Amino acid sequence: MKIPLKYNLRSLWVRRTGTLMTGLGIGLTVAVLLTMIALVNGLVSTFVSTGQATDVMVMRKGSASEPNSWFGRDIYQELRLLPAVARDEGGEPLAVGEIIVVINHPRLNGDSSNVMVRGTSERGLVMRPEVGLVEGRMFRKGVRELIASRSLSRRFQDMALGDTLPIAANEWTIVGIFEAGNTAYSSELWGDYDEIAQVWNRPIYSSVTLRAQSPEDVDAIITAAEEDRRFQLDGMRQKEYFQIQTASAVGIITLGLFVAIMMGIGSSFAAMNMMYATIMARFPEIGTLRALGFKRRSILFSFVVEAIVLALIGGVLGCILAIPIQVYAWMTGPMGSMNFITFSEAVFNFRITPFIMALGMVFSLVVGIFGGFFPAFRAARLKLIDVLRD
Amino acid sequence: MKYLRLLLKSVFRNSLRSVLTVSGIAAALFLIATLLTVLDTLTNPPETPDSALRLISRHKISLMNALPTNYLEKIQGVEGVDSAYGSMWFGGVYDYKGVDQYLGMFAVSTEDFFRVNPDIELPEEQKEAWLADRSTALVGAKTADRFGWKLGDTVHFKSNLFPVSVELKIAALYEGGADQGGGVYFHWEYFNQAMQNNGIMGTFSIRAESAQAVPLVAERIDSLFNNTTQPTKTETEKAFMLGFVEMMGNVQLLIGSICLAVIFAVVLIAANTMAMSIRERVREIGVLKALGFQSRHVLGLLVSESLLLALVGALLGSWGAKFVMGAIDMVTLSGGMIQSLDVNTVVLATCACIGAAIGLLAAGVPAGRAARRPVLDSLRHV
Repeated sequence: MKIPLKYNLRSLWVRRTGTLMTGLGIGLTVAVLLTMIALVNGLVSTFVSTGQATDVMVMRKGSASEPNSWFGRDIYQELRLLPAVARDEGGEPLAVGEIIVVINHPRLNGDSSNVMVRGTSERGLVMRPEVGLVEGRMFRKGVRELIASRSLSRRFQDMALGDTLPIAANEWTIVGIFEAGNTAYSSELWGDYDEIAQVWNRPIYSSVTLRAQSPEDVDAIITAAEEDRRFQLDGMRQKEYFQIQTASAVGIITLGLFVAIMMGIGSSFAAMNMMYATIMARFPEIGTLRALGFKRRSILFSFVVEAIVLALIGGVLGCILAIPIQVYAWMTGPMGSMNFITFSEAVFNFRITPFIMALGMVFSLVVGIFGGFFPAFRAARLKLIDVLRD
Repeated sequence: MKYLRLLLKSVFRNSLRSVLTVSGIAAALFLIATLLTVLDTLTNPPETPDSALRLISRHKISLMNALPTNYLEKIQGVEGVDSAYGSMWFGGVYDYKGVDQYLGMFAVSTEDFFRVNPDIELPEEQKEAWLADRSTALVGAKTADRFGWKLGDTVHFKSNLFPVSVELKIAALYEGGADQGGGVYFHWEYFNQAMQNNGIMGTFSIRAESAQAVPLVAERIDSLFNNTTQPTKTETEKAFMLGFVEMMGNVQLLIGSICLAVIFAVVLIAANTMAMSIRERVREIGVLKALGFQSRHVLGLLVSESLLLALVGALLGSWGAKFVMGAIDMVTLSGGMIQSLDVNTVVLATCACIGAAIGLLAAGVPAGRAARRPVLDSLRHV
């Protein structure tokens, strides 16, 4: 026979100050955890949602990222004419060769970081439908003009529309702002390929992006690019390239795991303390329950449930506490951290989703089970005769 | 002191609860000690007399732009410069048991290398052996340990930056230096040869003649190249390292907020425990007061009890962190990013203060209430 849940709820209500304080303690833990998961989620989802399924990126063999890659310009002509490459209405191959350079520039708060600059052409915009110009105009060919992502313009100095961005001895004008949604392109400045290659004195390509005619042709392009022994090249699905960069989140993940484990242990002890105290104060009650015919396992179950309810109250409080953190993140704009693969700033959005909140509730559930089991076990093992004599 | 026995009796009155409270506080302080140490290691790289004299010069645009190799001679000629060498980040990759491991690997011009880095420690004959043979490597003892390399081994290094790979014989093992025995160095001439004499230099490491000369040297070097197409940015080694931390974004804010939230959670939990423990003792407290103890005595006893528990928890947590950080292999765990974590005295003291604050805050309200309660009321309490 089961002990009604109402019994546990009433017991928690009688000790409401203690319940609330333990709940808040667990709640703070959950809020910290939600924040960490939201950071990881923001960073990872940015990379996962970047790239087109039919696009292939070709880079120099062994280079893990575009800024590390460079090869001669002649290769581009051969790559774009591969038979598996799709063509537009005018019969031109859907391919773009680009150069990536990295500049070190101060953020609005004065700290400096590296920012990727993509030297591209009109074609780069056509091939990336996720990128759209929202303010100003496109950069012109042969001029020192750049367009900046909205995220960068809100995070770095000299990157707002109309600003002059000094790079070494040269001055570049920000003539447009683009939005790239929740993708890695939100961390880039774009400019004219020829102008950038010339100013940096690097007549090379960092990557060539090719669109396959169909998903089946993707492998054909990769093989063709890699097979050519004259050039040492790697072909990679564009989606895969960006997925590898989720490795940048590994630092936050390690930190988050460590915090979660240590705080999980601490919170479990708190719940345990609370449960031991309430059980010891209730020996006569437990004896009465046993005398009424409730089984030991019913009592065990009932007290574990009580601990779970206590912890879940904490979970709910944690989710509520996380809301102002999310509001603060909205107000301050995008966050950024270093992408270890490209060695430059990765801008991402801090976002607490219902799924993340559910994870927080699962965490508090685990705290409740762990914190409740031993006290409940103790209660269930009480000898009826001892308790009633007390 | 004469109340010590009474204090201990109260602590052990419900030893299970005391153990749980102490463990909870210890877990939290373990976390805080570790986080503070990580923060300290990142933002305060150890500074020695040698490292304070070192400057690093890079391309003004960013570290990912190379500089002309002839800058080395020009820099060596700058007033106030004791010595300088050029180095290039090789993007070294080592295939360890089928998994690519990234190394802090540099191709360096060897002439002034040890003059700029006198804090790199190695036996004289190994130094000679490395300098004499272009196809050899100088490897940090920690890195060698990590991959099980011995003197005389030949190791194959790939690069994720250059289209070359190099085979190097390990001629010398070192300890100390700016990277504390965590790097790999080889001859720039060898790298240049592998690159078909197309080699480049990314940074120049410079030793200034004196501490006073450091800022002047930085200024002189930068103004020397300011009007060229390849301007430089020269800063102290420490500022250069801190640049990487800056790039990571708001690490300080993140870690600081976590610590604050943890402290707040622990105060709540400990206060609740104290409140529970005091509630059970209302009668006892009434008896003490009936015996002639005054409110401040009672308050003192209760607060000391809470302080004792919190301090024991804090000590266990922070020293536990010190012990664990010392025992685990940080290099492998962090993939070579962090050489070692040492929970220093400042962190230990901070943790003790946090523990004391937790004890005081937790006991304040419930103990005050218990101490003020009228004797008759307490004695009547069931």
